[in-house]
Amino acid sequence: INVCTQRSTRYVSAISAARGLHKSALDVAKRPAPEETVTSSFGRFIQSVQPRHLSPTVLQRSKRMVLDSIGVGLLGSTTDVFELALQHCQHMYAPDDVSFVYGRQGMKLSPTLAAFVNGVAAHSMDFDDTWHPATHPSGAVLPALLAISDMLHNNSKPSGLDFLTAFNVGIEIQGRLMRFSDEAHNIPKRFHPPSVVGTLGSAAACARLLSLDRSQCSNALAIAASLAGAPMANAATQSKPLHIGNASRLGLEAALLASRGLEASPLVLDAVPGVAGFSAFYEDYAPHPISSLEEDEHSFLIEMQDIAFKRFPAHLGMHWIADAAAVVHKTLVGLKGGSISPNLVQDILLRVPLSKYINRPFPETEHQARHSFQFNACTALLDGEVTVQSFQPEALLRPELHALLSRVRLEHPHDNPANFNIMYGEVEVTLVSGDVLRGRCDTFYGHWRNPLSQESLQKKFRSNAGAVLSNKRVERLIEAVEGLDHLDDCKPVLAQLQ
Amino acid sequence: MPLGSFTESFGAAVSCLSTSHLTDEVIRRSKRMILDTLGVGLLGTSTPVFNTVLQCSQQALENSKVWGRPGLSLPPQYAAFVNGVAVHSMDFDDTWHPATHPSGAVLPAVLALAETLPVKPSGLELLLAFSVGIEVQGRLLRFSKEAHNIPKRFHPPAVVGVMGSAAATAKLLGLPAAQSIAALAIACSSAGAPMANAATQTKPLHMGNAARGGLEATQLALLGLEGNAQILDLESGFGAFYPDYVPHPLAEVTPTSRYRWVLEDQNIAQKRFPAHLGMHWVADAAIEARAKFLDKCPNADLSQIKKITLRVPTSRYVDCPLPVSEHQARHSFQFNCCTALLDGEVTVESFSKSQMIRSALKEMLLKVQLENPQDNHSSFEKMYCEIAVETTQGEMFTARCNTFYGHWRKPLSHVDLVRKFRANASTVLSAEVVEGIIYTVDHLDTNQDCSMLWSYMHFNKHMMDRNERRSSALA
Repeated sequence: INVCTQRSTRYVSAISAARGLHKSALDVAKRPAPEETVTSSFGRFIQSVQPRHLSPTVLQRSKRMVLDSIGVGLLGSTTDVFELALQHCQHMYAPDDVSFVYGRQGMKLSPTLAAFVNGVAAHSMDFDDTWHPATHPSGAVLPALLAISDMLHNNSKPSGLDFLTAFNVGIEIQGRLMRFSDEAHNIPKRFHPPSVVGTLGSAAACARLLSLDRSQCSNALAIAASLAGAPMANAATQSKPLHIGNASRLGLEAALLASRGLEASPLVLDAVPGVAGFSAFYEDYAPHPISSLEEDEHSFLIEMQDIAFKRFPAHLGMHWIADAAAVVHKTLVGLKGGSISPNLVQDILLRVPLSKYINRPFPETEHQARHSFQFNACTALLDGEVTVQSFQPEALLRPELHALLSRVRLEHPHDNPANFNIMYGEVEVTLVSGDVLRGRCDTFYGHWRNPLSQESLQKKFRSNAGAVLSNKRVERLIEAVEGLDHLDDCKPVLAQLQ
Repeated sequence: MPLGSFTESFGAAVSCLSTSHLTDEVIRRSKRMILDTLGVGLLGTSTPVFNTVLQCSQQALENSKVWGRPGLSLPPQYAAFVNGVAVHSMDFDDTWHPATHPSGAVLPAVLALAETLPVKPSGLELLLAFSVGIEVQGRLLRFSKEAHNIPKRFHPPAVVGVMGSAAATAKLLGLPAAQSIAALAIACSSAGAPMANAATQTKPLHMGNAARGGLEATQLALLGLEGNAQILDLESGFGAFYPDYVPHPLAEVTPTSRYRWVLEDQNIAQKRFPAHLGMHWVADAAIEARAKFLDKCPNADLSQIKKITLRVPTSRYVDCPLPVSEHQARHSFQFNCCTALLDGEVTVESFSKSQMIRSALKEMLLKVQLENPQDNHSSFEKMYCEIAVETTQGEMFTARCNTFYGHWRKPLSHVDLVRKFRANASTVLSAEVVEGIIYTVDHLDTNQDCSMLWSYMHFNKHMMDRNERRSSALA
């Protein structure tokens, strides 16, 4: 028995214990037999095929392929590009690791791997910032910049302003790229945006911090394009955080490769018919140049379009529904007093945008729960809020939660598009008594239209950072970041994270 | 706007933006973003996924050999990366139908991984893993009609290659089916690179990254990381890379059943010279036309050629009238045509700087015109090349190539394949080692211990082992 089967069995039996009644729902909750999917057939094949299945023809042909491949590889080891890639790897994966790892005092990794793991950390709980058009911009950029800063010699650490400039270049590039496509304005269906624009954003930020010349900067973007793009299907799984980790790491790699002279397509952002560049990731693509800094005033996109910070670790769409459900919770508490009993509730209707990957009636893992309208609505109905703790295993298995989950229906009104700038969340609870309670949220607290106050933001930081750092370090970090634009070098920030 | 200007403008902006451009509001907002991100990052270090990737990133005790660099080893995924880059660095590696370069994504990963295993696999187990990696690629390519044509959007090795590498390395480790699926799912999030970087120096990295990404995916799966278990079924999964995606399950495999491999039904093309596959039709046609020309006029001067018409399929990225870099030259119908006309062959040397700047070649390039006949499909299965050479004397010499020598319909003979290998390998290895590899690969399916293979790859007749070098320097 492998671990995966055991885990899902555990969840399923908990569900069935809680709700003897709704068998059809239970069937849905049970995973369909693996043999039925194309994917599982591949898994099965890989595992079960044996040497004896290799026919003489296959043996002969594959040996020819092996021979030829080795030969061209040996010849290829004499090329410039090979030498370049080799130096890059030797440098990047040298035994002297230099860059810090979040929450692991004293531990160091190579800069690219540090960017990778720290990026994974940033997105591991879907707690990081979200922008419009949709992506998580900071997690792709910040880890790479911090890793580089660690890499640079003590006497040549970037100043706070240099750091902020590089950071903003990384954010700005992402914003610009997303505006090349109308498709990008909606909740994504094909490629996960951080893996598309995040990689180029990281490349741009790193190129800036490393002071590459313009042609190197262009090449960094182009090299990064060949490292971009991960499908949406891995969202709501444990692999999703790697999208941000990889965006950060690979963007950094692209910048480093460009600094060594690696060249790529000079047309990667242009729309060239018959040869896709960055346009490969979009159905509709219409690029615009960034106007020259000598001619025009440059205004950063972050200025006219603020960012959303999450109050709890879940997909952004959950915040509307949680706030709407919290309104109903408050009303219910006012009516009945004390804690909410599911027996009071007959029906729960959610009016939300249509988006397959956040419509999950019975999530089984924390990752799925973070991407479930139903889960977040019911949690907020029960508790009045959604918090970090709401996604712990014990919380996921609560019987009263499952009782509510089985009473949820979704509606997708036409005026509620899958767009973070326009959508709303509505919760309508019909009580057994016949009363109907409503809650609606057009703009949750933390959205760019209703940003978190500085106090709220710091409170979130204290709660998060305090999970792994001492209070002293936490306060020093707040202070250092607050004064970042006045620091001669960013060592005060780095020091608290080492 | 002139072509290239969007990209250029980005490069310029990134390079020129400075602290003076930051406004107060921008500073304020970005500090908030930085603070928040640090906080969530710190909290996130308590998650299982973070611990998994950390474990994966730290392990690097076992190292794998870099080809052609005695004494130099790297963690296996990076060895796979650089060796994969080597394989595709000159566009000399094999090509399949539907189009991809299958072996370069799989072999470096399999060898790098095999080297780190405490119990080395037998030759047959190596071949099995390799074949699985090829098979998975072939199957995936058949899920889309678009994949049957010369690609326009994503470079196939970056799409299917990483999946093949994941499958092959999962097989080598003997992972159970569920973990193999996880490896495929994780690998999928590393798939995809746009075609625009073909014909540039970055193209070989597509292969290196495919090998590396697949191996990493398997390592992560081994540590327990999971992805979407239906990754190949979903349009939002592997289907994201194709506009027409229709997946099919693989047939059941039992210990006694016969398995029908794609490689059996569809052979592979191996190149005779290091350039895009399409160039091989052009070269063969040009060589034939040249022969006809010289046959008729034995002492003719090739500058007597007035006009050259090439009838080829439409394919933007290999239509390059005046290539400047070697990468462009390898992706230029025109360049390969003229080289073949001038020299009677195209070789490794043809793409060297000195050969590329020949004035006779440059003059001839100006005389080439491309035509894209309707019946000449952009598919390596269907395309042809027709050449018409017109001389100043008014004579016309034509030739047509439907199937070049080395294509899967007309595979290289064993003698010629080995000859290609000797020519390539001996640029780096001594004759003894070259023969050793030939022997080892030939007997791969009967050899219990094939660790000789990566040991042989580790030599270089021009270099001293860096460890030896160090000790002799100390002496």
